[in-house]
Amino acid sequence: MTTTDLLLQQTINGLSLGAMYSLLALGFTLVYGILELINFSHFNIFMVGSFVAMMVLQALGIEGQSVILTGLPLIGTLLAAFLATMLVTGLLGVGIERFLLRRVRYVKGPAAMITTIGVSYILLNVVLLTAGADGKNFPDPLPPIQFAIGDAVLRLREIMIWVIAIVLMGGLTWFVGFTRMGKAMRATAQDPEAARMMGVEVDRVIMMAFFLGSALAGAGGVIFGLYYNYTSAAVGFNAGLRAFTAAVLGGIGNVPGAMIGGLIIGVIEAMGGQFIATEWTDVIIFSILVLVLVFRPAGLLGRVAPNKS
Amino acid sequence: MITRRSAFKVAAGVAATATFGATQGAQAADKVVKIALEMSFTGSDATSAVRAAQGAQMAIDEANAAKTVPGYKFESVKFDDGTATAGQYDPAQGATNARKMVSDKDILASVGPQMSGVGKAMAPILSAGNLATITPSSTNPDITDPKFAAQFKPQGKAIYFRTVATDAYQGPNMANYMAETLKIKSIYVLDDSGAYGVGLADAFQGQAEKKGIKILGRDKLDPKAADYSAILTKIKSLNADAIYYGGVGQAGVKICKQAYDIIPKTIKAGGDGMFGADLLTGAGFPAVEGWYATQASPHVVDDPKLAKWSKKYTDLYKMGPDDYTVTSYDATVIIIDAVKSLHAAGKPINRDTVRDAIQASKTPTLQGTVSFDANGDLVNKVISVYQITKDTTKPLDDPSSQYKYMGVAPMV
Amino acid sequence: MSVTTHPSASLSAAQKKKLGLFLLTLFILIFPYVHDNDGDIDSMANAAAYATLALGLNIVVGFAGLLDLGYAAFFAIGAYYYGILTSFQVMPLWSPGWAPLAALGLVEKMNQGGPDLVHFTLSFWIALPTAALVAAFFGVLFGAPTLRLRGDYLAIVTLGFGEIVPIVARNVDSVTNGAAGLNGVQAPHLFGSSFGVSATPYYYVGMALVALLIFISIRLRDSRIGRAWMALREDETAASAMGVNLVRLKLLAFAIGAAFAGMTGVFFVAKLQTATPEMFGFPVSTMVLVMVVFGGMGSVWGVVLGAAILQLLQSWFLKDMSGWVNAFGDMIGVQWLAHVDLVQSMELIFGIILVVMMLFRRDGLIPARRKQPLLNFEQQHAEVRRGGFVGLDRIPKWQPGRGNALEVRGVTVKFGGLTALNKVDITVPAGGVVAVIGPNGSGKSTLFNVITGLVHADGGSIKLEGAEILGLAPHKVLEQGVARTFQNIRLFPNLTVLENVLIGQHTRLRTGAIAAVLRLAGTRAEEARALRWAMDIIGLFGNRLTPRANQIVTGLSYANRRRVEIARALASRPKILLLDEPTAGMNPAETLELAEQIKSLHELGLTILLIEHKLDVVTTLASTVVVLDHGDKIAEGKPEDVRRNDEVLTAYLGRAVREAVKAEALAESANVV
Repeated sequence: MTTTDLLLQQTINGLSLGAMYSLLALGFTLVYGILELINFSHFNIFMVGSFVAMMVLQALGIEGQSVILTGLPLIGTLLAAFLATMLVTGLLGVGIERFLLRRVRYVKGPAAMITTIGVSYILLNVVLLTAGADGKNFPDPLPPIQFAIGDAVLRLREIMIWVIAIVLMGGLTWFVGFTRMGKAMRATAQDPEAARMMGVEVDRVIMMAFFLGSALAGAGGVIFGLYYNYTSAAVGFNAGLRAFTAAVLGGIGNVPGAMIGGLIIGVIEAMGGQFIATEWTDVIIFSILVLVLVFRPAGLLGRVAPNKS
Repeated sequence: MITRRSAFKVAAGVAATATFGATQGAQAADKVVKIALEMSFTGSDATSAVRAAQGAQMAIDEANAAKTVPGYKFESVKFDDGTATAGQYDPAQGATNARKMVSDKDILASVGPQMSGVGKAMAPILSAGNLATITPSSTNPDITDPKFAAQFKPQGKAIYFRTVATDAYQGPNMANYMAETLKIKSIYVLDDSGAYGVGLADAFQGQAEKKGIKILGRDKLDPKAADYSAILTKIKSLNADAIYYGGVGQAGVKICKQAYDIIPKTIKAGGDGMFGADLLTGAGFPAVEGWYATQASPHVVDDPKLAKWSKKYTDLYKMGPDDYTVTSYDATVIIIDAVKSLHAAGKPINRDTVRDAIQASKTPTLQGTVSFDANGDLVNKVISVYQITKDTTKPLDDPSSQYKYMGVAPMV
Repeated sequence: MSVTTHPSASLSAAQKKKLGLFLLTLFILIFPYVHDNDGDIDSMANAAAYATLALGLNIVVGFAGLLDLGYAAFFAIGAYYYGILTSFQVMPLWSPGWAPLAALGLVEKMNQGGPDLVHFTLSFWIALPTAALVAAFFGVLFGAPTLRLRGDYLAIVTLGFGEIVPIVARNVDSVTNGAAGLNGVQAPHLFGSSFGVSATPYYYVGMALVALLIFISIRLRDSRIGRAWMALREDETAASAMGVNLVRLKLLAFAIGAAFAGMTGVFFVAKLQTATPEMFGFPVSTMVLVMVVFGGMGSVWGVVLGAAILQLLQSWFLKDMSGWVNAFGDMIGVQWLAHVDLVQSMELIFGIILVVMMLFRRDGLIPARRKQPLLNFEQQHAEVRRGGFVGLDRIPKWQPGRGNALEVRGVTVKFGGLTALNKVDITVPAGGVVAVIGPNGSGKSTLFNVITGLVHADGGSIKLEGAEILGLAPHKVLEQGVARTFQNIRLFPNLTVLENVLIGQHTRLRTGAIAAVLRLAGTRAEEARALRWAMDIIGLFGNRLTPRANQIVTGLSYANRRRVEIARALASRPKILLLDEPTAGMNPAETLELAEQIKSLHELGLTILLIEHKLDVVTTLASTVVVLDHGDKIAEGKPEDVRRNDEVLTAYLGRAVREAVKAEALAESANVV
């Protein structure tokens, strides 16, 4: 394999990873932008999403690699999986906010964050205790189409990820930028009190943020399952850390920042695995996190440093 | 409302009960022989722990039903060395369990632990109590290595017996197989960062180098990471003949799937961590097709003589046995047999005599006749090689039918 | 630190406490002899280890409010430190240079059939304190990047370090034996004999360690250092403005917390005689956090109890409890209950504990804050003595320095494109009172912020009695003698009146961490003096504050909180007092009273710079008035003059109204004439 082809392949790998991290990062950033709360349970909602999708696909009769669909049935099945999952995870997120986090929203100190850590553990263990710790064979209805670019390979599923990720991110950007609710969200993110005084129902806005963020996390989970044909209870933590780094790198609270951050982290992971060694990838990612937070807390695209007291 | 005062009261009450209440082993039920089952029932190894424990229990129930040792009843006592904190086996908990086992005078022998990390912590304590244990799956060679005798058996006598061969054989023998039978010329070695996987991969790599296989690289996988495409792409670019993976299913399943996509033509092999139903269900066909896996014991599971035993197990427990189920069953049979021989010879039955009897035993078991050397290792160290070959006539998640026996790996 | 005493009640409470402590100690001492199950003794020893971890994290999270999610890293560092230096893992070649160390017993020469090698044989007893130092060093190293980060981010960064340490341990396997873990870690030796495998000696060492660390925690908590930590936990900005050196105290908290974990690491690994990287991952950090949250953040006995309960639950009782629950489930026919395995669900239980505690009982099992003494009937209904300060004679006069107390020259402050202060000059003569007035947004609070170092200046100079203070950190500005109050009152919410005021003295006291623990005569005397001074200052406000000295400030009335804030500023013996709208929100009677009190401070020689909106206060107190508008100084002079100044009127009222006012004034003077 020539070096250019190798680099190209690793870039393809990296961008696919990155697309997933971007989706997860977007969810983090939405909630953080409004609440200034790091939601630890977010990445386990992602994990739950992949399990929900798995159950939906299995209910539709798709097991392992046994059934391959194309064309309209494929699109229909995927649509069903996505919509169902996003609805479930969105509602899960709203439920967590409404019944648990709202009570500690205005408490000073680490109370809210600790609550999210607790919720995260609860989600993880409920799945662990019901589904077990083993990896699961996620249903794979995608036809094994691939394109060769020199020695590099671009598979249908990579294209699928990018398309879906772009659609979702585009949808979110449109929503935040052009709808009334989106405007309300941006206003609340800048100044909750003023927004309230302008008639914005802040509680509703926050619930919407959680719904959207969790739905995106769920979508990320579906993509994860479809891409790797695999899921397990443990997938949340690892992906979550990278997604969080992506959000911080891009500028926490900043939507395009999360997207760019995700892609960068994905490519770094791929290149790191190629040129350094996989065992140091975590250290590299964490180091990036620490360096960004210490030297440029606003991230690449952010303007507000997260230092407000 | 919980006040400071009430909190202290509760604490005091609990402390009192614990101190004066729970001293175990008080009753001297003279006809009961307790066998401890020390395994990782909590965490990521829980499913194989359950399988192994069931295997042991089957042996115990059979011995009781058949009154193998007249006047004596066997009982199992479970000890869990897995903790929620660790999410898997926890050496500190294993050490605590070892102390508990030694304190309970009715426990005359033990089956376990599963994981070598626990074994390292337990061995010195068991040695101090002269309590013999037979492990069905712990393969780290250090524990029975005479070089470390001062640490792992300070009292001098072997107490850590195994019904599996150690990594000192499993890895290197497979290297021989790959060099001689599969004619591999270049290989990339991976491990899953765990104690077992790293040890196995190290042993494999050392022998592979000696056999002239070119080692293209060595990488540690993070079992929690989802994506191994970077390293697999790198391996693809190096045009390796084969990859060897030392580790368990957590990363194994993912490597299986992703290697199928990225390096379909490369030969893939692993240790006994890659032998199991979790691979078949987690990775599934076609990804697992063609993978080689080894077992640190003679070929047993689809032996026709064994089919009867296999069926009995499956009917009883509603799940198929894996290889550690067999070694666990065999370990229990050896203990029971030791007690039987002591009884027949009229000797007293206590920990010391049981240990000696185990040391000297030559027991017919599912895996053939088993006897131990002075260190506690198996005398017959056999590494069996299997290759996953799809058999559509049998259930696709049944290891005994989907892993095809290929032969014995050449000894070092 | 109880000032108001109810003689009979407190005596028996203290006695009860002593009795309880005695019984507990007795129980712990005899436990291994009464209960002969070595496994259970081992569980207790493990519980002791987790208790010390919880105590250490309590200092970081509970006292100083720094949420550390990677605490297990320091545990690992202590463990590997001891493990590597007592096992056969690292064996360099022997050379004569090692001989002196061999003579000290730290290494020994070894031969395994080859060249001579060095075998490290660090004694357990030396390893304990040295591991504390090594871990403390890493505490500072990992804490340094987090200093300017907010709570959530600090947590994430510490989480990162917490993950990195076990990864490094796993990857650098030449030193740590990687994933397989260390072999042959030496057991402790006492008087020549090894501890061996019996759990009992470890149990005693563990308990001794817990006792020591409880002692250190309590000493620190009740000292100047503990107060400073709590101040920075409650409100960093106010703490800094009151003289607390944030950097030093945060790093100190990290260092001491890490030291506790380092010692625990040594103990744990000495007992286990092996160490693997998996023993120190995120789940361990989380579990210690759960123990601290469960027991009570900031509560020393609380976290010990929390750790003991959770650890013993896991390793001793949960199996039995599981059996009871299963039997119960069988009995009432609920299948799920009959089959649930509590041991496996331990992590789920942890998560539930975290959520439930945060939602319903944030204080934990044993709250850190004792019950506040209730005011008795007389105190509640006491007639408040209005008027000036009480006991002013106890306060020594301030000696104003020569020349000007404060000279602000050409100070400019820009926030992005907005100029908040534009080359402002202000002179405050020694012992004088200067008032700064101006419409909203004119830059008054920014002026205070730049003087006290909370905001960065883009030019100019600020001299305090001739010494430049521009560019100094806030705590240094306080140290030099500039104390302030805040417009929206920034007290330390969960601390008492007395504690708030004592923090004002932080820079004037000298007790450091070590002195706090040792609590020798000098420290005790210093604390007594500080207490007296604080009570004197509190006493200035008569019976408004004195009976409430041990009340949490959030329960006080608005006016009282303002008074506490002023008391806190006064406690630092400042050369100049900056008061930001001190009478805001007070009714006319209270305003008058406070104005009187400020006047008496002035009569004591204290220089005062004051922001005020109420012009009658300004007229009463100030000799000079400075008027700011949109960052510019538009007028300066005596109060009456400034009042009539055209520009000032325009700024406040707008041109049309100004004309009307002028016309009216003319008409008045015409009438008089």
